[in-house]
Amino acid sequence: MRPASFRAVAREKVPDTHLQGALDVATARLRDGRLAAWAALDDVEELRTRAHEAKTRVVDDLDGAVARFRASAEARGVHTFLARDAAEANAYVAEVCARRGAKLVAKSKSMVTEELGLNDVLETAGMRVVETDLGEYILQLAGEHPVHIIAPAIEKTAGEIATLLGEESTELEALTAAARRQLRDTFLTADVGITGANFGVCDTGSICLVTNEGNGRLVSSLPRMHVVLMGMERLVETLDDLSVMLRLLARSATGQKLSTYTTVITGPRREGEQDGPEEMHVVILDNGRSRLVGGRYREMLACIRCGACLNVCPVYRKTGGAAYSDVYCGPMGAVLVPLLAGLERSCELPHASSLCGACVEACPVKIPLEKLLLELRRDLVEQRVASRTERILFTLWSLAWSSALGYRLSTALARVVPQRAFGIWTAERTLPPLGRRYRDRR
Amino acid sequence: MPSVQLFATCLGDLMFPDAVADAEELLRAAGFEVVFPRGQVCCGQPAFNSGHRAAARRVVRTFERAFSRDLPVVTPSGSCAAMLHEYGVWELSAFLDAHDVELPQRNAGRRVAYHDSCHMSRELGIVEPPRRLLERSGATIVPLPRPDLCCGFGGTFCVRQPEVSLAMADEKLAGAAGVDALVTSDPGCLLNLRGRSEHTGGVPVVHLASALARGVG
Repeated sequence: MRPASFRAVAREKVPDTHLQGALDVATARLRDGRLAAWAALDDVEELRTRAHEAKTRVVDDLDGAVARFRASAEARGVHTFLARDAAEANAYVAEVCARRGAKLVAKSKSMVTEELGLNDVLETAGMRVVETDLGEYILQLAGEHPVHIIAPAIEKTAGEIATLLGEESTELEALTAAARRQLRDTFLTADVGITGANFGVCDTGSICLVTNEGNGRLVSSLPRMHVVLMGMERLVETLDDLSVMLRLLARSATGQKLSTYTTVITGPRREGEQDGPEEMHVVILDNGRSRLVGGRYREMLACIRCGACLNVCPVYRKTGGAAYSDVYCGPMGAVLVPLLAGLERSCELPHASSLCGACVEACPVKIPLEKLLLELRRDLVEQRVASRTERILFTLWSLAWSSALGYRLSTALARVVPQRAFGIWTAERTLPPLGRRYRDRR
Repeated sequence: MPSVQLFATCLGDLMFPDAVADAEELLRAAGFEVVFPRGQVCCGQPAFNSGHRAAARRVVRTFERAFSRDLPVVTPSGSCAAMLHEYGVWELSAFLDAHDVELPQRNAGRRVAYHDSCHMSRELGIVEPPRRLLERSGATIVPLPRPDLCCGFGGTFCVRQPEVSLAMADEKLAGAAGVDALVTSDPGCLLNLRGRSEHTGGVPVVHLASALARGVG
């Protein structure tokens, strides 16, 4: 199915004053937090460069990195599975859950599981799936999907959240207490815990979870089985590289030096250990990622999903996440979604940007998002996804403007074009009078 | 007398001839002879930013043919200067600032806001020169609430996503409410912001060259 048009969603969101207020406040707070946290570092540019290099080492040898990670993880007793696409990943998870006879699955926040549509698959297989991240839990109650990578329920007000949680008070403490109460049983009785992974470490086979609510730690340690879903590009080679990433991730996402909980998990419970799951699986997801290796878009695989680019994007600030019609939104989504889902399906996204470059400045791993958007636009033209009319118009324009004579003749013609031909512009803006060219005065 | 080549840009030539004339006037007053190569057309940016690379190459060749490599090129457009970065093209305010030009006190007592165009500030890093020039002309600069935000022009973006583009322009204009003029160094931003401001009855939006040569208000 073709997703809803970006413009159609944007047209609904822009006049929504409640949404505009919520987006303004939340994105400004996260952005200001990042700027303050970056400013407090000795040399953020050097750190960003090191992070870029650490990710580049992995991305340039992605198959090798995946193999090294799998070998290390399996040596620690982890079952690993490399899933080529969503169907393979979902089937694997459904099967290992069914084998355990799982009835209740507790999840911590994971963008990859959103990408997979995993919850629907498990629910169809008869399991109850409960999101335990506060924002995700609220969205699950509302039957909605995340609209921000870091703050998934960014567009909800306290009043709406109180209604969803069945609370009368709209005080934040009362709301979090209600969610905590409602989720407590899930943590204690879940048969399986499913988490994402912020990073996987090739050397040790560890996965690293970064959360602020501690739910990731509960979900990964209380149930008897822990299933991790990780995009194949989320790897770093060493624990040293991990520390570089961790110094940047929380600072860039929320302005924290570190998130409240940073958990490194290396294998399931070992003999003599008191806690941890008996069985652990890591599903490594390709789903279009390996196609980007070695190509013009390889730098996109360095993305650490911090959301910094969303918070500075003047377009995202106006539309929110829903306009992007995908789990990934904002500038990183405008690049990644067409790459994973196909240009044809998401042909509006490369143009859902004014190319202002704010995202490039904000990206902790220095992904040249603006350049990648331009490359996607080029592909739209060269793969003939852009309309025939557009291609013909630009070709005719460039032929006319390939000489000063052609320019003078074509712009002289513009004088006789009636103003209403520019209706899409003049409906909401004035247009300067045409036909008073500067060159004619010289 | 040293010479410079003036690149009017397509938007400057077609939409803002007065601003280009003001740029020429400023350069002359600063002691430069201003050459206007007749073969100039456009930097090709409209096509490049829309992904039409072959069309962009065709058009940027006019620039290569029209301009001499031996004389500095100055343009009253931040984004065209960024597009032509590899040719060493000077953005007007950076050029005037680097040459420490004297400016008449045309803006004494005026309060102006300055809008940074994205490519000029982020790609070329030109942030202070236009502000210094405005101050040198007597103006007081009133900071915008979010100088980092784009005005919503973005070339074809403003017609592909008109609702978002207008909301961005409106926010920028609201932030400038009450000043004598909102000044910018980019014909693209000028087209968008002045067009919107005139439509909604907002503040005057003025090209930097005009603000310096003639004063605002």
